[in-house]
Amino acid sequence: MGLMTLLASLGGVIWGIFGGALPGISPSIAMALLLPFTYGMEPVNAIVLLASVYVGAEYGGSIPAILIRTPGTNSAAATTIDGYEMAKMGRAGEALGISLMSGLVGGLFGLAVLIVATEPLAAVALAFTPPAYFALGILGLSVIASLSSGSLLKGLFAALVGLMIATVGTDPVSGVPRFTMGSPELLGGIRPILVMVGLFAVAEMLDQISLPAWDRTEARDTRLKLPSLAVWRRTWKCQLIGCGIGTFEGVTPGAGGTIAAFMAYNEARRWSKHPEEFGKGSVEGVAAPECANNVVTGTALVPLLSLGIPGSNSAAVLLGGFMIHGLMPGPMLFQKAPDVVYGLYAGLFAANIFMVLVGLVILTPCIWLVNRPKPYLIAFILALVCSGVFAIDQSLFDLGLVLGAGVIGYGMRRFGVPVLPMVLGVVLGFLVESNYRRSLVLSGGDHLVFLQDKVALGLLLAALLLTLYSLWRELKPK
Amino acid sequence: MKRLSVVALAGLAFLATEPVLAQTKYPVSPVTLVTHSSPGGGSDVFLRELTKHLTPVMGVSFAVENVRGGSGAAAVAKVAKSAPNGGTFYATTPTYIQTSLLSKPEVGYEGLDPIVIVFLDPEVIYTRAESPFKTLADAIAHAKANPGKAKWGAANPASLERIALERLKRTAGVQAAVATHEGGGDLMINVLNGTLDFGIGEIQEIRSQLDAGKVRLLGVLTDKRLPDFPQLATAKEQGIDLTVTKFRGLAGPKGIPDDIAAQWETTIRAVVASDAYKAEYGKESLVPAVMGRAEARAFTQRFAVDVTNNLKELGVIK
Repeated sequence: MGLMTLLASLGGVIWGIFGGALPGISPSIAMALLLPFTYGMEPVNAIVLLASVYVGAEYGGSIPAILIRTPGTNSAAATTIDGYEMAKMGRAGEALGISLMSGLVGGLFGLAVLIVATEPLAAVALAFTPPAYFALGILGLSVIASLSSGSLLKGLFAALVGLMIATVGTDPVSGVPRFTMGSPELLGGIRPILVMVGLFAVAEMLDQISLPAWDRTEARDTRLKLPSLAVWRRTWKCQLIGCGIGTFEGVTPGAGGTIAAFMAYNEARRWSKHPEEFGKGSVEGVAAPECANNVVTGTALVPLLSLGIPGSNSAAVLLGGFMIHGLMPGPMLFQKAPDVVYGLYAGLFAANIFMVLVGLVILTPCIWLVNRPKPYLIAFILALVCSGVFAIDQSLFDLGLVLGAGVIGYGMRRFGVPVLPMVLGVVLGFLVESNYRRSLVLSGGDHLVFLQDKVALGLLLAALLLTLYSLWRELKPK
Repeated sequence: MKRLSVVALAGLAFLATEPVLAQTKYPVSPVTLVTHSSPGGGSDVFLRELTKHLTPVMGVSFAVENVRGGSGAAAVAKVAKSAPNGGTFYATTPTYIQTSLLSKPEVGYEGLDPIVIVFLDPEVIYTRAESPFKTLADAIAHAKANPGKAKWGAANPASLERIALERLKRTAGVQAAVATHEGGGDLMINVLNGTLDFGIGEIQEIRSQLDAGKVRLLGVLTDKRLPDFPQLATAKEQGIDLTVTKFRGLAGPKGIPDDIAAQWETTIRAVVASDAYKAEYGKESLVPAVMGRAEARAFTQRFAVDVTNNLKELGVIK
């Protein structure tokens, strides 16, 4: 591996962490912004650069999630739950350390899976027919009950609103524009990242403005703390869970890091010895989702490299990067350009190491930044959020959407309606609806198709069991 | 006002005395080419490859700008509002016409003036290697023999490909479920795992599977056979009267002077005929079909009428 490849990896990670940490800039956008600069680069370096951005961004997203309760990326949404609670208790440095090391574990595991098991896992991706994807989405939605923080009714209500938001845009079957009010801005639907930035970042800032000046700076641990042996002992099990779920969700195109993180959080809580700590600053609640979404940085490349099919927006940008250099990912890539594939593996390994090094360096300034006086900080964050959102497409419409979502998010907090189920609804709504309807188009309207497909049947049964278990846990007399 | 007209007159006089210069030197630099596609997307790659070959011929520099948002509406509006001096163009594909028809954008496709059409993208029908079908005619015969069992797939719901499959049903007189997807990748999975009898797409989208021998081409929806796939029969040859035209070209704001339009036509003709560019677009199986402004205008108009009728028949628009 040449020096330039190493530099590409380092540069990609740094850019990715900053992009990921900026609310509104998703990993795919951070990658797309760099794409035009890769035209003149060696193919290996270009691909490594882009893949390293992805690795960095998945970690970067957790920084604002922990420090200001605002996920920088979709897949860091689950991290806000316990990460921010830890920060409130003055354990921000510890939470960031856990996130960083869990990200490393996840990233290296995902890479190992990519190297060893690309061929067999490609078969898993192909086993997913439309009914199976529908069932996969339902399995993701079964997490709602545990995200409802006490009030199941309010949680279900929020999830429903989220599912409704996901119906805006072009109808997945007929192509008829729905709820777009004639606006071309809405033809492509409402992007989940905009809803999330509004619900988390803007709502949090509105909330903070209404509270008296915080006493954050006192008695705070402003230094990064790497997990001690005792913490490792507590988190290894949830990292294992994160690795498993991240592999599965990464390999199936269309699922991705967000669902992986939520499901890992849910499962970590189920199998934990201290489930009562979840939602109140549990180290396991940070480790599980952060491990899972970094596993996906490796495993999401499985369908791309083996089948030429991008499983996520980020993988689609990477596909663009391959094509710019006249390379076509797919079954022939390993024969045609083995140097690029092995270079990519090496680059990803380097990226995971760099992620830790860069993470160690920048965390202290980040924590310092968050502890500045409140009026400065709120103005700064709102300016950052607005410019970040505007930078994506130079669209004032998007900015309006974000601010609108912020007001709604603020209202939801006032009335104690949890926002996470709504986020889940927005993220999964389209996957569930389009595959449900596609299945029925193909079966001629016969619902039995969901039970005849073995993968779908298994996933639906799992969803049913998980829902019943969660309901029992939520409703049982305390 | 007066001073302006004097300047304009002086300009005219200058042009009149320097006819040779006016023909060879392009008046604006840099020229901005706007696309709705993101970096690495179809139109983006098209523009960046094209400008590589345009720069030495036209002697000006080019900038490719990605204006996303509104399914192309933002990019169209930006170009429509730019000065008609030949400094700004939009990379056209059927998308900009469809977006205008499906919603009420600030500026529709009529707001732009087509200046050239460069390529036609051939659409092919393909299936997985394990499939029993060898030709499109086989698959149609199967659909005829098993009413309600045929399953076909297109990448997007309101796309040209979807319209093509619906027309195929009508032309061949068969019943089939047409499943639409969230892009070519989703469609490919359902073709490879056998959920669908066949899918429709561009060569470029299925290239990697084709090279690996995982998919087989059943037919192409063009008038003539593709030079790269001489053994692949067109739908027409297989007894199905269906051709689909997907185009790539450039359009600018209204009011671009005739000499600039003429210059574009000559330049594009020269560039498309060059061996270096041929080698590049040949790999993507793009079919050169250069049309100057008058032809491109008529072609776009005809295309819009066709798509309007097809979307109405599908019930997508009223």
